[in-house]
Amino acid sequence: MFGFLTVNTGAELICFFTAFFCLRSEKSPVWRLMIVFLFITCVTEILGYHFKMLYLADRAHARPNVWLYNILLVFQASFFSLMFNHILQPYVKSLPVILGGLAIFALLYIYELIVHGIFVYNEMTNTAMLVILILYSLYYYYCLFNDYEYHNVLKSADFWWATGILFFYFGTTVLNIFFDNILKGRAQSLIQLNYFIYRSVNVIFYSCWTYSIICKRWLTPTLTAQL
Amino acid sequence: MANTDINGPIIISSIIFLIAPAFIVAYILVYNRRKKRHIEEKAQMKLIFDAELIKTQMEIQEQTMQTIGADLHDNIGQLLSLTSLTLNSIELDNTDKAQQKIDAAIELNLKSIKEMRLLGRLLHGEQLLKLGLEEAIRSEITWIEKSGRFAVIYDIDGERPDANNADKDLILFRITQEILNNIIKHSQAKEINIKLGYRDTGIRLQIIDNGTGFSIGDLPEAQKGMGLKNIQKRAEIVGGEVFIQSTPGEGTCIDIFIPYP
Repeated sequence: MFGFLTVNTGAELICFFTAFFCLRSEKSPVWRLMIVFLFITCVTEILGYHFKMLYLADRAHARPNVWLYNILLVFQASFFSLMFNHILQPYVKSLPVILGGLAIFALLYIYELIVHGIFVYNEMTNTAMLVILILYSLYYYYCLFNDYEYHNVLKSADFWWATGILFFYFGTTVLNIFFDNILKGRAQSLIQLNYFIYRSVNVIFYSCWTYSIICKRWLTPTLTAQL
Repeated sequence: MANTDINGPIIISSIIFLIAPAFIVAYILVYNRRKKRHIEEKAQMKLIFDAELIKTQMEIQEQTMQTIGADLHDNIGQLLSLTSLTLNSIELDNTDKAQQKIDAAIELNLKSIKEMRLLGRLLHGEQLLKLGLEEAIRSEITWIEKSGRFAVIYDIDGERPDANNADKDLILFRITQEILNNIIKHSQAKEINIKLGYRDTGIRLQIIDNGTGFSIGDLPEAQKGMGLKNIQKRAEIVGGEVFIQSTPGEGTCIDIFIPYP
């Protein structure tokens, strides 16, 4: 019954529940939206497990769960863009950059859907999103460097949120580069290695986010919270 | 490439790709700590600077009070005593002599009024500054010109910055008053040239007179302390510099530069 409970889904659920309890009464609507996003992520993971089981049981009739993650990509791109816009806003006029990133994502996503349909993972879109999000994170750090004011980043929700993104997308870059080999090879050792790296990066990612949520709720308010 | 062959590169590259952001985050944390220390040091320096500024302002105030006290006692007090003595010594029977004494008393009284006005200007300085430094200096010049003893040329060069600094304005104005008072009392000058220039980095004030001048080295220590040292000390407090050039018989040039605002 609880087969879906893995290290990944466990980390996601902990993060979701933390967000639910800490951000319910949050003033910023963007941060409140994180509850919805984490809920969608958790539901996708649970459904993903369910569809994977169906596929493994009947490969002839069922399809892999890839289509579900293709849908999740849309939510990820939208929420991450919204959040980056929110945390970059105090420093720069970030909206044009964010809209540009979203346009690239939309073009690639539609292109890949037309080329291979929804049942094949949108690898190119995911890689583009990875590059864009890493650039956003680094740009946020650059803004922090340039800011004359001092902010205690150890207690900054924005900082740990962006750090989570940077760790996750930097950490999974290698897996994305070798994605074809991993997918086609299907060697047990490679799949296990893939899972191990993915799990590790995912735990770091959700740890950063959980801490970020705790910072948002209890620790020093950040610049964006004051706006 | 066999699948097992790429396990190693995947592990190594993944570790490298995780170390990179870890280093970035560590660097930001270290940089941020330094930034905090720098801000704290700056705040500390500002506190010290503010304390020095307050001290200087109090010294200026104290000096003004001393000048007023000394003037009241030595000048106005003496003049009024003399007026009183003159009036007391009038013998109404001797009308010619009485008239002379009354005239002398009137003259002494006028002198007292003049001295009182001089003191009034010292006290009035901060109010004058409400009109701005340029106008405060102009008002001093107008008053000097009324005496008819000096021809004053006043030039303003450059645009006054939008942001002003009231503390620096007051100190610069007091320095100007000090220099002008020295010129009036000691220089026997006929012409005074005042240039107030706004630069990108600060204010430059140049006061030149064609008076007797002096040799800086020959000035007695006590005299130096009262005038020139005070000017230099006040300018230094606000991060400024003072250059004094003077030759006996050829007048004096005092050049002051103060970072502004």
